[in-house]
Amino acid sequence: MRLAHAAIAIAAVFSVALPLFGSEYQIYLAELILINIVAAIGLNLLTGNCGQISLCHASLMAIGAYTTALLTTRLAVTYVLALPAGVVVTTLLGASLGYPARRLSGLYLALVTLGFLEVVSIAIEEFPDLTGGVRGLKLAKPELVGLLLKDNALYFFVLGMTALAICAGWNIQRSRYGRAFDAVRQSVIVAQALAIPPGRTKLLAFSIAAAFAGLAGGLFTAVVGFIDPTEFDISASLRDITFIVVGGLGSVAGSVVGAVVLTLLPETLRGAKEYGDVVYGVILLGALVLAPKGIVGSLAFLARRRDSKGGLT
Amino acid sequence: MFGARKLLSALATSLSFAMLAAIPAAAEQGVTADSITIGAFGPITGPAAYIGLAGRDGATMAIKEINAAGGINGRKLNMIFEDDGHSPAKALAAVKKLIDEDKVFMLFNVAGSNGTIGTIDYVKEKGLVMFVSFASAPGVTWPFAKNLFRGGTTEVPRYGELYAEYIVDGLKAQKIAILSGREEYPKNEGDALTKQLQKWYKITPVKRAEFNIGDKDFTPQLLDLQQADPQVIAFFGNPAEAAIALRQAKELGLNQQFFVGTTMVDQGFLTAAGPAAEGASGFALIPLLPGSSNPAMKAWRAKWSAEYPNLPANRPNIFDVLAYADMYVVAEAMRNAGKDLTTDRLIDALENLHDYRVGPIASPRSFAKTHHIGNLRLQPMQVKNGEWVQVLWESKRPSDILQRYH
Amino acid sequence: MTWRIALQLALSGLSVGSIYAIVALSLAIPFKASRVLNFAQGELVTLGAYIALVLSSYGLPYPVMVPATLVIAAGFGILIERLFIRPIVGAPEFTLVIATFAIGLIIRALIRIHWQDNVFFLPAPYSGPALAVGPLRVNPSYLVIIGSTAALVTLLVLFFQQTRLGKAMRAVAYNQTAARLMGISVGKVFGSAWALSAAIGAAAGLLLAPVAGINPELGHLIVKALVAAVIGGFGSLGGAVFGGLLLGVLETYAGALFGAALKEVIPFAILIAFLLVRPNGLWGTTQVRV
Repeated sequence: MRLAHAAIAIAAVFSVALPLFGSEYQIYLAELILINIVAAIGLNLLTGNCGQISLCHASLMAIGAYTTALLTTRLAVTYVLALPAGVVVTTLLGASLGYPARRLSGLYLALVTLGFLEVVSIAIEEFPDLTGGVRGLKLAKPELVGLLLKDNALYFFVLGMTALAICAGWNIQRSRYGRAFDAVRQSVIVAQALAIPPGRTKLLAFSIAAAFAGLAGGLFTAVVGFIDPTEFDISASLRDITFIVVGGLGSVAGSVVGAVVLTLLPETLRGAKEYGDVVYGVILLGALVLAPKGIVGSLAFLARRRDSKGGLT
Repeated sequence: MFGARKLLSALATSLSFAMLAAIPAAAEQGVTADSITIGAFGPITGPAAYIGLAGRDGATMAIKEINAAGGINGRKLNMIFEDDGHSPAKALAAVKKLIDEDKVFMLFNVAGSNGTIGTIDYVKEKGLVMFVSFASAPGVTWPFAKNLFRGGTTEVPRYGELYAEYIVDGLKAQKIAILSGREEYPKNEGDALTKQLQKWYKITPVKRAEFNIGDKDFTPQLLDLQQADPQVIAFFGNPAEAAIALRQAKELGLNQQFFVGTTMVDQGFLTAAGPAAEGASGFALIPLLPGSSNPAMKAWRAKWSAEYPNLPANRPNIFDVLAYADMYVVAEAMRNAGKDLTTDRLIDALENLHDYRVGPIASPRSFAKTHHIGNLRLQPMQVKNGEWVQVLWESKRPSDILQRYH
Repeated sequence: MTWRIALQLALSGLSVGSIYAIVALSLAIPFKASRVLNFAQGELVTLGAYIALVLSSYGLPYPVMVPATLVIAAGFGILIERLFIRPIVGAPEFTLVIATFAIGLIIRALIRIHWQDNVFFLPAPYSGPALAVGPLRVNPSYLVIIGSTAALVTLLVLFFQQTRLGKAMRAVAYNQTAARLMGISVGKVFGSAWALSAAIGAAAGLLLAPVAGINPELGHLIVKALVAAVIGGFGSLGGAVFGGLLLGVLETYAGALFGAALKEVIPFAILIAFLLVRPNGLWGTTQVRV
């Protein structure tokens, strides 16, 4: 456990100090990692803790991104208001998934979320005058109460938002809602016996995941400055799932580790050139074979085994 | 609450760091006493890989030749290529890496529109020259930016002008139907054609139908077109869909002449469509396709095959040739800029290029102080006996494109 | 809409639906045999098509190429299962699903490196100009697809009902632990399941090659196949086929009546409708756990 505290401290110091020594490229990468962390935490609460499969996490990010983008470009709403507005809209739309989740699970729920993903994608393309359609939407750099959010200012803003998200995720997990999530994942019948309403719990889980995704999407518009529907397709959703599976299901640390590792991986694989996808797939498979419970999950497992071998338990 | 306190204190410290000095503007970089470093990027993974790989290989071959012939004013060219996966986010990462870490002198863009649009603002801010070989996205040349140049592909409205003139004047058609895919480039081609038909000839297409990328059946659209009884059907999409659509058109009894978009005017379309392609016409981005029997092209192909002996089917494609030709354009401008090479002098040299091309395999490039549109020419072609053959037709109407730059 | 157009649309709808049907059938197999959603199934179809492409480039005659393709594809299936799936067989369900996604990615990327995104059509001996039925036209390849799919369904139903291996697969899909306790070698069953999935996928690839075009993104048809499987019901092989045909017809009519945008939405609207109202599909035998 000491090790975990030390790791967190080092990570915090590193992320704060990055602008001192990092190039613009590295800072941009860090921003992408932070955005993915936010998205991953939300998905992990839904899937890792509450056990609900979602293939539409990327489209929830899209809703957040497009809402924030449209408010800032078309309606000249300032970013500091557009961002939470995006979160709210995404949460409401994401909550609608709670309805099918009441009655379906596993493969069937996954397919409903797939349907949701495709419908959102088509909706974005169908209103090009509003959303830019397949041509995408370009955005100006956002402002935060007069301070133009670019370079270091943007980085610290994203870092701050991510820190809040990590805090929130951590606290939700340890709250009674988090315990309700775990109960529903393990057994709906037992949950009901414990007076935990499964339907409402799933609804809450989907809403929370959507909120995180909406935040991630809104931050994405500020960092990249250009959005189009192909950034939020099924591969993006699957990529979000790989973050939490490789990092570790059901833990905030797992979301962080998975997002960091798998966002950095394609960038470090630039040397593999056109073989980048192949190497990525192989490494991903390798990670799954070596650590089927995820990196954090496996580390925790090993730590428990080592502790129990020590004798006093 | 564990974690919250630690993170809050980290936040506080970080806010005080926010007052740190701004990043200094990028000075002249990438030019040393004996080398010039060019940063290039494009998709080499994912469905658009055939664009980026060809762009990379064509440019690399040009650089090799230039260096073998002595380089540019005593310096050797050096290219660093990054993948953008056809994703705007990854393209921006590639550009930031090239500019900020690899310290390149200029950017050579073989990315297509997807990877380009998201990087324009950043590149404008940084001030480096970005030479865009493949993308047709309007933002590269309008609004005018001092450091952005468009090479091989021409402006989207220009496609509309040439297509409209050829269909009405060359193919002598008045009743035109358009079948276009719901993706950026095909949609642009379709919209540009519609707009220009109206503007220049007061003709409205008798039908405009759309299809989705990846569709395997076009019966509803083709039946719709058949009812409108057009003389020419313009098809804008990808070779995969074109092949199925053209085959089904024949099956359903549509015997109209087909006019296809530039993506189809390449060997890949012929391989896919087979006999159904016969008689189709379209415009090529380059004057000679890689399969042509023209001696200059044959010589170029021989060089290419020697350089890349093991490459997949239908390579070299038009993007190999385009990137090769455009790299020579960049090199020529660098040479004209002289030994004291700076971004401003490169811009000057590019703007003073008039009708430069490396040989008959390329179309001429000209830039000006007022606009950076390098190419306004496309080559009309038709499929005869299973090959794309040049059509002897010249555009007679002057382009309207340059009017807004005055 | 005239009669001629309405009937032609129906015929074309069944034709494109036959493509969905055969891919849906190949998707239903791994589900029936191991209850795992195989994200790589689309790539197994693509792989089969490219194997056929390579074999035919060596000049093999069609009647030889077909069984050769199926056998080689089955071999790949066994190889993939042994190398990548066996080591993670006890892992959580999500891990398996992501593993299949990774496998699909690798297959697609490798194919792309060698053949790029060129599109190849592989004519078969039955390929030819469209047959005329009055004023209507139908391409013979589609008739072959429908016929072959029907034949495959019959064979597979017999396989699962009557043969030892087939029954063992169903047992493993139903309850792995119980099957193991009954003396069934689960490892061998998984290997056989992947071999069968790959072979049926390859059959789909072979049938699609003359009409749908072989390219690395062929596997994207899996999305439509999923919708078809939901309509028919995941446990029912015949249902998946029916679902594909129905989807093709509905999609084609939607396109004719409402345009391309709605044509794209229709499959997912149907998907969501079925999942909300009748998740078991029309003939599904699996229970929908909540």
